[in-house]
Amino acid sequence: MLKELILGNLSLEAIPLDEPIIVAAGVFMAIGMFVVLVGITAFKKWGCIWNEWVCSVDHKKIGIMYLILSGVMLLRGFSDALLMRSQQAIAADTSMGYLPPEHYDQIFTAHGVIMIFFVAMPFMIGLMNIAIPLQIGARDVAYPYLNSLSFWMTFVAAMLVNLSLVVGSFAATGWLAYPPLSGLKFSPGVGVDYYVWALQIGGVGTLLGGINFIATILKMRCPGMTLMKMPIFVWSVLCASILICLAFPILTVSLGLLELDRMMGMHFFTQLHGGNIMMYINLIWAWGHPEVYILILPAFGIFSEVVATFSRKRLFGYTTMVYAIGVITFLSFVVWLHHFFTMGASANVNAFFGIATMIIAIPTGVKVFNWLFTMYRGSIRLDTPMLWVVAFFTTFAIGGMTGVLMALPPVDFHTHNSLFNVAHFHNTIIGGVLFGYFAGFVYWFPKAFGFQLDERLGKISFGFWVSGFYFAFMPLYVLGLQGVMRRLVHYDNVAYQPYFIVAAFGAVLILIGVGFQILQIVYSVKHREKLRDKTGDAWNGRTYEWSISSPPPVYNFAKIPTANRIDEFWYEKEEKDPAHVHPNDTCFEDIHMPKNTSAGFFIAVFSGILGFAMIWQMWLPAIFGLVGVIFTVILRTFNNDTDYYIKADTVKQIELAHYKEMLS
Amino acid sequence: MLMLTQMIKTMGRTLLRLKFIFITFLATLLAGCDQKVTGILNPKGIISYEERILLFDSVALMLIVVIPVIIMSFAFIIRYREGKRTSAYKPNWGHSVFLEGFWWGIPCLIIVALGIMAWHYTHKLDPYRKIDGYPVSLKVQVVALPWKWLFIYPEQNIASVNYLKLPVNQQVQFFLTSDNVPMSAFFVPQLGSQIYTMAGMQTQLHLLATQTGTYRGLDSQYNGDGFSDMHFPVEVVDDAEMKAWFASVKNSNKTLNLSNYTKLRQNSIAHPKEFYSGVEDKLFMNIMHYYMGHGPLKFDN
Repeated sequence: MLKELILGNLSLEAIPLDEPIIVAAGVFMAIGMFVVLVGITAFKKWGCIWNEWVCSVDHKKIGIMYLILSGVMLLRGFSDALLMRSQQAIAADTSMGYLPPEHYDQIFTAHGVIMIFFVAMPFMIGLMNIAIPLQIGARDVAYPYLNSLSFWMTFVAAMLVNLSLVVGSFAATGWLAYPPLSGLKFSPGVGVDYYVWALQIGGVGTLLGGINFIATILKMRCPGMTLMKMPIFVWSVLCASILICLAFPILTVSLGLLELDRMMGMHFFTQLHGGNIMMYINLIWAWGHPEVYILILPAFGIFSEVVATFSRKRLFGYTTMVYAIGVITFLSFVVWLHHFFTMGASANVNAFFGIATMIIAIPTGVKVFNWLFTMYRGSIRLDTPMLWVVAFFTTFAIGGMTGVLMALPPVDFHTHNSLFNVAHFHNTIIGGVLFGYFAGFVYWFPKAFGFQLDERLGKISFGFWVSGFYFAFMPLYVLGLQGVMRRLVHYDNVAYQPYFIVAAFGAVLILIGVGFQILQIVYSVKHREKLRDKTGDAWNGRTYEWSISSPPPVYNFAKIPTANRIDEFWYEKEEKDPAHVHPNDTCFEDIHMPKNTSAGFFIAVFSGILGFAMIWQMWLPAIFGLVGVIFTVILRTFNNDTDYYIKADTVKQIELAHYKEMLS
Repeated sequence: MLMLTQMIKTMGRTLLRLKFIFITFLATLLAGCDQKVTGILNPKGIISYEERILLFDSVALMLIVVIPVIIMSFAFIIRYREGKRTSAYKPNWGHSVFLEGFWWGIPCLIIVALGIMAWHYTHKLDPYRKIDGYPVSLKVQVVALPWKWLFIYPEQNIASVNYLKLPVNQQVQFFLTSDNVPMSAFFVPQLGSQIYTMAGMQTQLHLLATQTGTYRGLDSQYNGDGFSDMHFPVEVVDDAEMKAWFASVKNSNKTLNLSNYTKLRQNSIAHPKEFYSGVEDKLFMNIMHYYMGHGPLKFDN
């Protein structure tokens, strides 16, 4: 009895030793982890890692950790993509390929889940963390400890998904796990439970992050910076955070109800006992549609920043841009049914949601024109961030067009669940979201790390990524129109195979692009002295993050700036000579800072234990995890030693050092 | 302003002309490889045909915006590249009511046009709606099973598995549900729309094939390991051949009684075609009622 309470359903059989590809992947992960752990020990960095990073409540460090998590998970999600593309390139007619359906089904599920929840979201939140407080002239986010907690919850959720590869299995249901397929009858194993618990834990992290950024943006802007003087990126993050706060609870409820069905024999979604799967589909997409706008809005914000900076011109139509973001935010809540036009709703319902979906194209189109006319009569530098923007224009225009196409219900009756659909959303997510985040990554990298990324390698990786994208996804549009569906493990019409081969070739090009991105980072780290950003203003920027050193001091701004207009920093540079005041002529004050804490890390670890234990029905460890979470949360509230002051003299020394470097 | 409107009119007319050239070109191309091109681009049914028209019309409308955007994105980076045309550099110009009105207005007009088309065609091509001008001459009940399709012809009292025969130029009304398999979706791309099949619920579809031939039917909604093999041939034949087929199936020595149905609803992948000469009374209805918790059917689930 005790053994059951402790071990639940967990046994050595949970490790799939009979599947060579999984064993290989697991060994590869283990080696990677081992190398990292040994390396940290050999270089005696545990103290630094623990004190400076794990316990950090500094938004800049948390942002970097989010970016590292996103990059590592990109490798896993992209490996899934390569597996899928190679399988589909081979498995035509009588060939079954090398991946059996049971395995392939988990791969495409993991691909979707990882890319959305553990690559795109962390990438976005990482960039938000690095840039937002700096852009509004603040010293940190509103709730630094909550920020740390958010990151560690996301990290633990990602680790749960990685663990599912080697202990048990992952869901084989598609990334949204529709019942009845995700119910107990058709998915009796632990896969869907891994899915639910990982997303519930990660979802808490994201929701807390949404609250954090709304509070930060509304309450911590520097004096003079009214809402209509904020950088557009800040507006886009504000609206994305509002979407997070309104939408993520829906995800929590949907997955919660699914898990109640699975764990406690309830019947929210089991047809045989009065449940209804249509409820789940509505709920999950009521979250799912705002989710994709959560992803795209910050990318739009990044485009606004990059276009203005690299055209050396003010953003065209600031007010309209703000209203467009607002309209998109609102409309994103009234279109969710377009994900299931074929579920049999009446023509009135389908037509309403179709028209509402098409209306979103208007503010989006307006933004594109505003960006184009920011470039018009500017003085354009085609550095890597700007290259990503230019690629975005064409790619997103095509993706948006196919989206409006599918918003017409009769057309969607053909393209739903087909490769046309797959091509559309990859078109908008890669062409819009990912290209935007890549632009933001190269743009803000010098600020976060103190040195630039090598330009030439950046351009090469850009070339492979963009060409790879087109080779990988344009054939899918053609196949989709021909009636080829998504998630096929093999197909019988050999006439489709050439298209799949071209798509696989595209995936290889993207792989080379990713390889060059990794090379770019390694090379730039190696040559960081040569690439050092001495002034803190690597791109001749327009907003406040460029007014401080790279990387910024822990307190960001020695003196909080006063913003009287949009792009105040740019005009200060133009009007003042010299732009910067010598530290010896400035009066510094003690700066109030939050102390690091391990509470966020421990709460997340206990949550992970709780999640893993619930998946395997290990009740004693589950109680341990739950008690651990509650106990750590309460313990933290008793901690009165959560802040400290940096003395004015220390601030002056730091500022002097930066000033000297600026002039050298 | 006048020049601009004239420019738009010419662009619009050119695009429409281009669209006709494009369709003719595609049709000629496709006529040659009629067997090879599948899906909505090679429609063989009234519904698919209309949906293809809608597809091309909406692409044409949207290209009005998309093509200028793509052209401008390249033209501007070439023309206003750092170092060139320094006289054109206007760093603080960021506002123009006229231009904004233009690119709010034109997309609004396009969306209004698309919206009207969306409303009209969504109603006209609603899967639940009978096709105008043709009586319903055949009813088919569709049951998605793991991982195959059962087609019951209730008025002829026959059934087939993984094989669908339809009469040409006659409207067929489908009633669809699923049993013992996760949510699936019935789809014959060259004939018309897809529609979900869900346990305990009935969906409907109306199709009218306009040309004889063999087309591909499939499941579009992923529903487990056997998903990729859940496709079936759809043979569209003339009325005489249809009646002959009904008669020949009636000679089959298998009937779809309860015991055969219980065997049929078990898991199987790439199930071979089967034909039944009689169907258990009210089978389709009772399958749905089973999921509603009443009715005569009992299965060990």
